[in-house]
Amino acid sequence: MNKTMTVNIAGMIFHIDEDAFYILNQYLERVKEELKNTDGGSEIYQDIETRIGELFSERIKVNRQVISVTEVKEVILIMGEPSDISGSGSKTEYESTSSRTYRRMYRDPDNRIIGGVCSGLGAYWHTDPTILRLIFIILAIFGMAGVLIYIILWIILPEARTVSQRLEMRGEKVNLSSMGEFFRQEFDNVKRSFKK
Amino acid sequence: MKVENSKAQMRKGILEYCILLILERGDAYASDIIQKLKEAQLIVVEGTLYPLLTRHKNAGLLSYRWEESTLGPPRKYYALTDDGKAFLKELDLAWKELVQAIDGIKQIP
Repeated sequence: MNKTMTVNIAGMIFHIDEDAFYILNQYLERVKEELKNTDGGSEIYQDIETRIGELFSERIKVNRQVISVTEVKEVILIMGEPSDISGSGSKTEYESTSSRTYRRMYRDPDNRIIGGVCSGLGAYWHTDPTILRLIFIILAIFGMAGVLIYIILWIILPEARTVSQRLEMRGEKVNLSSMGEFFRQEFDNVKRSFKK
Repeated sequence: MKVENSKAQMRKGILEYCILLILERGDAYASDIIQKLKEAQLIVVEGTLYPLLTRHKNAGLLSYRWEESTLGPPRKYYALTDDGKAFLKELDLAWKELVQAIDGIKQIP
């Protein structure tokens, strides 16, 4: 079972799986970014969006009405990487910009004990959250500082809810392969928890 | 140095010329042009075409009109302008010179 969303691509309405939407959205954002400094960039972007809509509508059938990750990946392969589209030059140049990782602090709801603050910080700094928890406990014993800091962090740090936020939290690249890896891991986790 | 890279560069160089050649035969949708270029194995991904079309249109070599489509939104129907035709003649000449140049070099013993 999959949650779907409704999107408007160049004036056509499509139902799209949530994870497929996420991948498509990432792709279109990157295309937009790549075309930003090109003459007539917004027009080119519109043309590309229209073409993607066309390719999707060719793939919609009576018994298959929802765009899934497979269709999105197929269409992205047909359209090409954003760097191909803008013709901004060599592959290496593109890779250096795309491997830029956005790491942000979040609370990690998957490995939390209280509010997920320590597990989130641990993911951010690549440290064992247990050590951070010990530090907070020690701070809490010597006065209220630990408790206070924890509560403040709990309030100001957003929870990592979506796939992209969880990848950002771990400082991993948000792209097709990392998303795929993420879903595989999640799937394994679910399988393991069933076996228990 | 990979041969694939050099091949891609060569194809890229003649892509403009090919687009104009296709449109010389008659007006076409972007997707028709893509289809023909794919058959000729000149492009691998479709995205590369759109910036070229827009650039040529802005340079006055191409014009387009909207045509209604039975499936989906209206589509752009591209045509060669007079400037475009003159431009294509120049490219025809340049292509002939290139072919001669290559042949000439190959015949040097």
